[in-house]
Amino acid sequence: MSQTDTAETTANRTDSQGISTTAGETVEETRPEWTSYEAGGETKLAVDDLDVHYGDDHALKGVSMDIPEQSVTALIGPSGCGKSTFLRCLNRMNDRIRAANVDGTVELDDEDIYQDGVDLVELRKRVGMVFQSPNPFPKSIRENVSYGPRKHGDIETGLLAKLTGRAEPDREEALVERSLERAALWGEVNDRLDDNALGLSGGQQQRLCIARCLAVDPEVILMDEPASALDPIATSKIEDLIEDLAQDYTVVVVTHSMQQAARVSDQTAVFLTGGELVEYDDTEKIFENPESQRVEDYISGKFG
Amino acid sequence: MSRATQSVLVRDDRTLYEAVAGTAVGLSGVAFAVGLAALLGVVTIDDPVAGFELSVAFGAVLLALGASVVGFGVASRFGYVDAAPQPSAGIVAAAAFTGIWFAVGAIVSGAVGFGTGGRLGVGVILGGIAFAATAFPREDIGSTVPAGAVAGLCGLFLVTGVVGPGWKQVLVGYNAALFGDTVVPLIVLFASLVAGWSAAKAYGGFGARGRNVGAYVLIYLVVCSILVVLIGLVGFVTVNGLPGLFNGFGVGGAALISWPFLTNGAGLLADIAGVFPALVGTVWLVIGAVLFAVPTGVGAAVFLSEYAEQGRFTGAVEVATNGLWSTPSIVFGLFGAAFLIPRFGNQKSLIAGMLTLGFMLLPLVLITSREAILAVPDEYRDASAALGVSKWQTIRSVVLPAAIPGVTTGVILGVGRIAGETAPILLTMGGGVLPAKSAAPNVLSGFQLSASPPFVSNPALLEATSALPYQLYALITAGLSGNIQNPQEYAWGLALTLLLVVLVFYAVGIATRYYFRRKLHQ
Ligand SMILES: Nc1ncnc2c1ncn2[C@@H]1O[C@H](COP(=O)(O)OP(=O)(O)O)[C@@H](O)[C@H]1O
Ligand SMILES: [Mg+2]
Repeated sequence: MSQTDTAETTANRTDSQGISTTAGETVEETRPEWTSYEAGGETKLAVDDLDVHYGDDHALKGVSMDIPEQSVTALIGPSGCGKSTFLRCLNRMNDRIRAANVDGTVELDDEDIYQDGVDLVELRKRVGMVFQSPNPFPKSIRENVSYGPRKHGDIETGLLAKLTGRAEPDREEALVERSLERAALWGEVNDRLDDNALGLSGGQQQRLCIARCLAVDPEVILMDEPASALDPIATSKIEDLIEDLAQDYTVVVVTHSMQQAARVSDQTAVFLTGGELVEYDDTEKIFENPESQRVEDYISGKFG
Repeated sequence: MSRATQSVLVRDDRTLYEAVAGTAVGLSGVAFAVGLAALLGVVTIDDPVAGFELSVAFGAVLLALGASVVGFGVASRFGYVDAAPQPSAGIVAAAAFTGIWFAVGAIVSGAVGFGTGGRLGVGVILGGIAFAATAFPREDIGSTVPAGAVAGLCGLFLVTGVVGPGWKQVLVGYNAALFGDTVVPLIVLFASLVAGWSAAKAYGGFGARGRNVGAYVLIYLVVCSILVVLIGLVGFVTVNGLPGLFNGFGVGGAALISWPFLTNGAGLLADIAGVFPALVGTVWLVIGAVLFAVPTGVGAAVFLSEYAEQGRFTGAVEVATNGLWSTPSIVFGLFGAAFLIPRFGNQKSLIAGMLTLGFMLLPLVLITSREAILAVPDEYRDASAALGVSKWQTIRSVVLPAAIPGVTTGVILGVGRIAGETAPILLTMGGGVLPAKSAAPNVLSGFQLSASPPFVSNPALLEATSALPYQLYALITAGLSGNIQNPQEYAWGLALTLLLVVLVFYAVGIATRYYFRRKLHQ
């Protein structure tokens, strides 16, 4: 926690349009064929030639992929291969890491999120994130869910709003209910919304974090191994939820479990050590008939 | 014989040896407790116990303890009991007994009339013997014989009356003397601690388990004595202060409760002199200091831990803050006198005192707030940022609430220190020795608005004001005299009031912290 607001708003990237294009063209020639994979549906996020350095450490190398809307895209690969790094590029959470340096473009609905003047508040409202270990705030369940909208001024609560008659308890109530309902948690907590969120079980906490993210009404939801800290039952609830959310949202989920990827995702991207995207295709294709020998080895458990 | 070969998991049969050793431990505890009581003057060493003076009885107990401790060791060494001693009592025990026996030798030979060289020589010889006796034999001998000998020797002195109730030793070269009624309890405390430790080791059968029990007994006795001293201190002030505090206290009548000591001044008109002005002064002083130091300190802590880049600058600030916290209060007082007073009407005033104490409080608030803020997990900040919430809003709504308990702890500690400070007040706030009720600061209704700068003024803040510690100090330096009936009683009442005020501030702080902790965790 050392960077300042200014560090966050000015992107840590060194590109100017020209350089990025030339670099893109040179890489184009050496690309294997499968990167031109076109998923069905409208492209929500278009990633082009993304490079990330942590200081001298080249963590992500020339990654390009189009993520279609209203589907689940799984990112799999051995640990340390850059999955989390890639995910953090999609809502610019990497800006919070001082050492991180991002090159390339990420377009959200055809708009480069790394261009100058991008409003990080707007971006992160549209691209939400759920973390590896559940991290609800030490506040009540209700406050956790309505946190985002309240801080954005979309819902007025608080003493001043109450005194001036601008408080909207009904709208807050409705929002909390809708979000928790959508995260499949409402039935378990509706009678204790004012209890502290830290009293919930791990699986419930993670679904609360999803509800908190849904409350700001995002278009894309990024999840970084959302079930890795959970037991099998809680995990399967999260997996069901992910499949369900894909009807309305674009979901990108990092996982180290291939079964999970196979179960929930529509398309799968395989990263391998060194920060390369090795293969990206329909999930069925990846698991049944991958193009790359390395991916086949990884999936059959021969390495990784 | 050795427990290791038997591999016994459950031992419910108490051997006679264990029973005796346990009794010895208990006896040491009792001797220690009575010794403490004697030191604090609850009992005196010439009180009769079963026909003997207490001091002689102490001696007999210590002799018995010494003998039995040596007995435990010997019994274990010759295999009469089931114990698991290690090859040596260890270097720490050896060093401790070397020191103890060196001191015993030097003191006793000095008392017999040896010169400096002779005393050193005797000390070194005894220390050497003790070292050898502790370090070289097996643990059961090494940790009992030197200990038993210490206890026995101390017991011998007391039984024979070499040191007893009438004993007095003038310290040559100093204008002071030692008396039996402090020295005897000290001897008893020391010897029973040593014997208790040794008996506890024997009770545990030496070895790892014995060391565990020994350490437990040692720690337990020391902690208990600290508690007793603390309670004794508070009790002493309370017992002495109660008559003054409740002088003229009554329930019923016109006012529901009449408590003249707290509601009266000390002027000629008051029939019962009270501490009202100083009490009010202290309360305002602490409130003012907290109001100044908490926002500044927390603000600086937020800047240092959330905005400033961690590096040489923050490191330097940290060193400076720590230094400031350990700066003597008189230095703060001088600063207040030289810097603040000229800026607030050139006379000692309440506000100068508030700010001086506020400056004193600032570093601690800063240090503890910084630590509390750094302890807030980064996951909260990430979660908030991922929702698109700005940095300042994250700090305000997530980081600071999670840090409040830690900040409160700092404020509690700090208030405890500043509420009792005398030196800075002496230099910046003044106030009379025995202020009349009218001298109490009237801060709340003192605010006045005016059309010209400074627009708001409050004469109450600009007047010299008394505070409890300062009044106590002034009263004592004035020789406990004055226009009041019983200055001694008054001064003790004052001290008790100060103690209670600090405790009340503590209670408020702890309640606040408890409230916020609950809010964070359930
Ligand atoms: N905050 C960071 N600072 C420096 N290096 C990092 C940081 N986060 C990740 N890395 C490095 O980037 C590489 C990819 O890490 P990550 O994206 O976390 O992998 P994955 O999520 O696939 O396990 C690793 O070599 C890791 O050491
Ligand atoms: Mg990861």
